[in-house]
Amino acid sequence: MKDRNLLKGLFLAAVAVIFGLGATRYDIGHVERAGPGFFPLMVSSFLFLLGAGMAVRSRFMKPEAIYFNVKNIAIILGSLAGFAALSHFVNMISGIVFLVFASTLAGTSYSIRRNAIISAVLVAIAFVFQRGLGLQLPLY
Amino acid sequence: MDILHNLAFGFGHALTMHNLMFCAIGCVVGTFVGLLPGLGPLATISLLLPLTFSIDTGGALIMLAGIYYGAQYGDSVSAITMKIPHASSIVACIDGYQMTLKGKTGLALFTAGVSSFIGGTVAIVVLAALAPALGEVALKFGPADYTALMLFGFVCVSFVTTGSLLDGLAMCMVGVLLGQIGTDVNSGVARYTMGLPFLMDGVGLVSVALGCFGIAEITKNLDSREERTPFSGKIKLMPTWPEFKRIIPSALRGSVVGSFLGILPGGGPVIAQFAAYAIDRKVSKYKDEIGTGAIEGVAGQAAADEAAARTSFIPLMSIGIPENAVMALMMGAFIIKGIQPGPNMIAQHPDLFWGLVASMWIGNCFLLILNVPLVRYLLSIFKIPYVVLFPAILFFCCVGTYSVNNSLEDVFVTAAFGLMGYVMLRLSLDPAPLMLGFILGPMLEENFRRSLLLSRGSFTVFVTRPISGTLMALIALFVLWQMSVFVRDVRKARQVAPA
Repeated sequence: MKDRNLLKGLFLAAVAVIFGLGATRYDIGHVERAGPGFFPLMVSSFLFLLGAGMAVRSRFMKPEAIYFNVKNIAIILGSLAGFAALSHFVNMISGIVFLVFASTLAGTSYSIRRNAIISAVLVAIAFVFQRGLGLQLPLY
Repeated sequence: MDILHNLAFGFGHALTMHNLMFCAIGCVVGTFVGLLPGLGPLATISLLLPLTFSIDTGGALIMLAGIYYGAQYGDSVSAITMKIPHASSIVACIDGYQMTLKGKTGLALFTAGVSSFIGGTVAIVVLAALAPALGEVALKFGPADYTALMLFGFVCVSFVTTGSLLDGLAMCMVGVLLGQIGTDVNSGVARYTMGLPFLMDGVGLVSVALGCFGIAEITKNLDSREERTPFSGKIKLMPTWPEFKRIIPSALRGSVVGSFLGILPGGGPVIAQFAAYAIDRKVSKYKDEIGTGAIEGVAGQAAADEAAARTSFIPLMSIGIPENAVMALMMGAFIIKGIQPGPNMIAQHPDLFWGLVASMWIGNCFLLILNVPLVRYLLSIFKIPYVVLFPAILFFCCVGTYSVNNSLEDVFVTAAFGLMGYVMLRLSLDPAPLMLGFILGPMLEENFRRSLLLSRGSFTVFVTRPISGTLMALIALFVLWQMSVFVRDVRKARQVAPA
């Protein structure tokens, strides 16, 4: 299951199934008066054919290894989600500090002092955005 | 004479203090962000898009265009000085970086700047002459023709950007499906919103672009963990007269090639560069030197790059169909500012249209007089290690997505698309066609449903109308050709290694 070409086909087919099943919950209508479900069902059927075709085709090609670094993408997504949650429940300054300290875990080296400086600079930039450009950032 | 009159009218609008300032800011900021590793024009534009929200429409469009060509110039600068390729500057890495190795960085940057200027100037004349005429043709298009044209665009983009028709088409379809999220205009039914109220208006353009291109690219850079040595060479900008003379013929050739390829569906800067470079290798007086750091190797491709970047605005502004992913993003930005690009844009907003055309030329001047000398200062951004840079880029992504609707939910949406973009990158699926599908999806559905309504449910309407019929025939030819190539490859592989 480490073949990239096979996984690619399966990924696309999975997207098609999700949207295709969703489309059947809406009114399909008929050809001359298409309902809201008609077009997505048509597109996802086509996408499913493409995805399934690729999965079949991969059997005829040399398998290519897939590289996937779960740690880095998890850290980045986690720090984004943390930023949004903290900005919502506390304020955006805490969100920025969290974003910096969490996301740099994915970097080559980690330094608390350096992170403190980055956070301070970014908070200052955020203030400039808020006052200067009129962006409505809930900083505090 | 009409062209001159129109251009003069445009310059009248573009040369106000206000618009000049936005043009200059756009160019400089675009170059600066474009220099950053992993941020090509698509990510740069979507990152800076929110900056234009508080500006009036004319200024915002001018600034966006400035950001676009600034970003492209920034890409070629990082390619020339440090051999960091972006999608839009692969060719610049070849001769440009060779020139840097020879200690001629300044000359290479100057050549790229001057050639871009020449390419841009030629392209603007083409744009001013062709766009209004093409707009008149576009008024004859019916919904079936638009549907066929969009499908044709999908096929061309898929083939050009990914090299594999199947992969690209599949990504277009994924984009179209993502564009379905939100309220259906015809029936008012909320589709795929999972009961979440903030999805009623659909997924935000900035969220998709920043997720797929920004977050995913950053993570990919983090995975590779390479530290780049910052550029520390000396830059001597002014060329000698014989060197300067060598720039001109190549740049003119590149301008013509670029202007032409920029108009075609699926065309644009990337393919134009390769074509111009290939032609220079065939016909240039110094063709033997190309590849080892020749001026021609930089001049031709830079001119083609810039010319194609300008003329790719033609289909967007005259027909209303973007021909590649960057133009799709531009179209989204236009719509956010309340302008629907298309045949009526020139008639309804002549000041915006001609002002934008004129500002492109002014933007070229800014690139030349502002950015070329500023390059050595801009390059100092590479002295900052990536571990400091990427939290800052993430922060700008967050602020960018948040300030579109002042909604923190959008940050979650961006994170989700970041995951999707990363998975796609690792599966070697190019997200650029997805962007085009996402923007064109709602339009495609609208035109598709309308043409079936008009034809009372008969699919023959797509084949019997002259315009759509021709386009459909072209698509069929293309698909057949690709299938025959695939079958031949499989046979060849079997003959070499019988299973």
